[in-house]
Formats: sequence, C-alpha cells, structure tokens
Amino acid sequence: MPNLTTIISVAGASFAASFVEAVEALTVVLAVGLARGWRPALTGASAALLALALIVAVLGPLMSVVPIRGLQFVVGVLTLLFGLRWLRKAILRAVGIIALHNEDAAFARETRELSEAGRREAYGFDWVGGATAFKIVLMEGIEVAFIVIAVGAGRGLLGLASAGALAACVVVAAIGAAVHRPLARVPENALKFAVGVMLSSFGLFWTGESLGVGWPGGDAAILAFIVLFLAVALGLVALLKPRAAALA
Amino acid sequence: MIATAVKELIGLFVDDELLAAAILVVVALVSALAFFGAAPGWVIGLVLALALPAALAASVLRSARRAVRSE
Repeated sequence: MPNLTTIISVAGASFAASFVEAVEALTVVLAVGLARGWRPALTGASAALLALALIVAVLGPLMSVVPIRGLQFVVGVLTLLFGLRWLRKAILRAVGIIALHNEDAAFARETRELSEAGRREAYGFDWVGGATAFKIVLMEGIEVAFIVIAVGAGRGLLGLASAGALAACVVVAAIGAAVHRPLARVPENALKFAVGVMLSSFGLFWTGESLGVGWPGGDAAILAFIVLFLAVALGLVALLKPRAAALA
Repeated sequence: MIATAVKELIGLFVDDELLAAAILVVVALVSALAFFGAAPGWVIGLVLALALPAALAASVLRSARRAVRSE
C-alpha cells in the first residue's frame, strides 16, 4: 500500500508536469484559432486527442503483461533521461544562459507564422491550421502520457497519475476557453524546475529498485532524492548566476 | 513526417547527448554490477545517487563554459 508521501508526490508531479505541457499546447491551439479560424484549431486538437486515446488504448494493456521489475527499469531509465533533461534546461534558464520560455512570444510567433502561411484548403478545410493544432496536441499529449506512466507505473498508481494529468488539462483548457489568451503568467520555469527535480528522483528510485536496491525508508527515499537533486540544482544556480550576470 | 515525429520523440529524452550518454553509462555499469552480483545493493544505490547528480552538474557546467566562450 503506497504511503501518503508517494500519493502526494505522484499526483502532484503528474499535475504540475501536465499543466506545463497543456499550457504549451494551448498557446499553439489559440494561435491557430485566432490566425486561421476555430474550426481547424478544434478539429486538429480533437483529432490529436482521439489519436492519443487510440495509442493509449493499444499500448496501455501491454503494460500489465510486462514483469514489474522490467517495467520499473525501463520506466526508471526513461524517467531519468526525461527528468534530468528538464532539470538541466530549467537550471540553464534560471541562470540566464538560455532564454526563459515566453508564452506571449511563442503565441506572437505562431500567430505571425500561421497568418503568413499560405492556405491549403481541401474539402473546405484549412489543413495547415488543422495539422499545426494536431501536431502540438499530439506531441504534448504523448509527453503527458509518458509523465503519467513515469510517475504512476512503478507503484501501480496509474489511475492517480492519470487523474492528476486530467485535472491539469481540464484546468488549462477551462482557463484558455475563458480568457482566449496564452497563460503567460504561469511560472513555467519554476514548474519545470520542480517537475525536473521530482521526475529525476522518481527515475533514480525506480531504476535502483528494479536492480534490487532496498532503499532505506522505502518510498520515503524519494523525498531524500528530491532534497538531493534540489540541493544540486540550486547549488548550480547559485554558482553560475553571478557569472552569467557578469557576462550580460 | 514520420522521421520528424521520431526525431521529436527522441528529443523528449535527449537534449544534451553527453548527459544522455552519461546516464546510460551509469545505468549500464550498475546493471552489470547487479547482474553479476559484483556489488551489494547499497553500493549500487550509492553509485546511482552520486553519479546521476554529478552527471547533471557536469552537463550544466559544460553548457555554462560553452556560453562563456561564445560571448
């Protein structure tokens, strides 16, 4: 039976990571809607959600036939690659070595490019707009699906992780539908920083457990790994920020 | 179209190739130790817990050095 630490960290990590991905998808879907019309935007997004549901429906049951140790190992290693990649980027953004992701700028760029792109209509449908919405929702959706597997599969908490992700997507979609603007005030890098720390910790935990490591404290070791990665990440930011500021 | 999709899918996991390679080398090393029973579990755990944050730090510092050189 998973303890409260595991439950909170699984649902929290899944919600926060999915929130970031949903915000990125929303920015492009809004750009398509305003630049090319809502029909291609919503059709493309809906088609991507359908494709995603099909992928999950086909691949999901396969997970139950994979031995738990093998699943933990594969998910653990992929989560390490995914989480440390996010954390590295978040550190470099926090320091100022790479630019912060700006939803307003991304929205303006997408809207401009989509307005300038030629119309390729067939059967009265704008395929450029539809394909753009389809691609972003599918790619961000695949990331969300992976995050759900990454944080939930190792402990059989896929339902909880899915609920966290679904809640994030519903919240972002509802806000997007209400304000019709990209969610630029979401502290995206802080969220990515936190999620990178959590995913890296989960990855370390699953990988070790799959190799027979009996972590002291069981699931509570994940908290120790969160502290470890957070300390390393914040230490790197503290070390590099003055140098980056001196260069600017 | 498919090539682009595959590239983007790989891009979800690999950004800095050296960081990805370092992670895979560490995992391969500890897997070999575990498979051959060459080290107790706590050693494998310790290696993972030390080597992975170290790989992250090395990758970030390398990117920072590169940024300084390009200024």
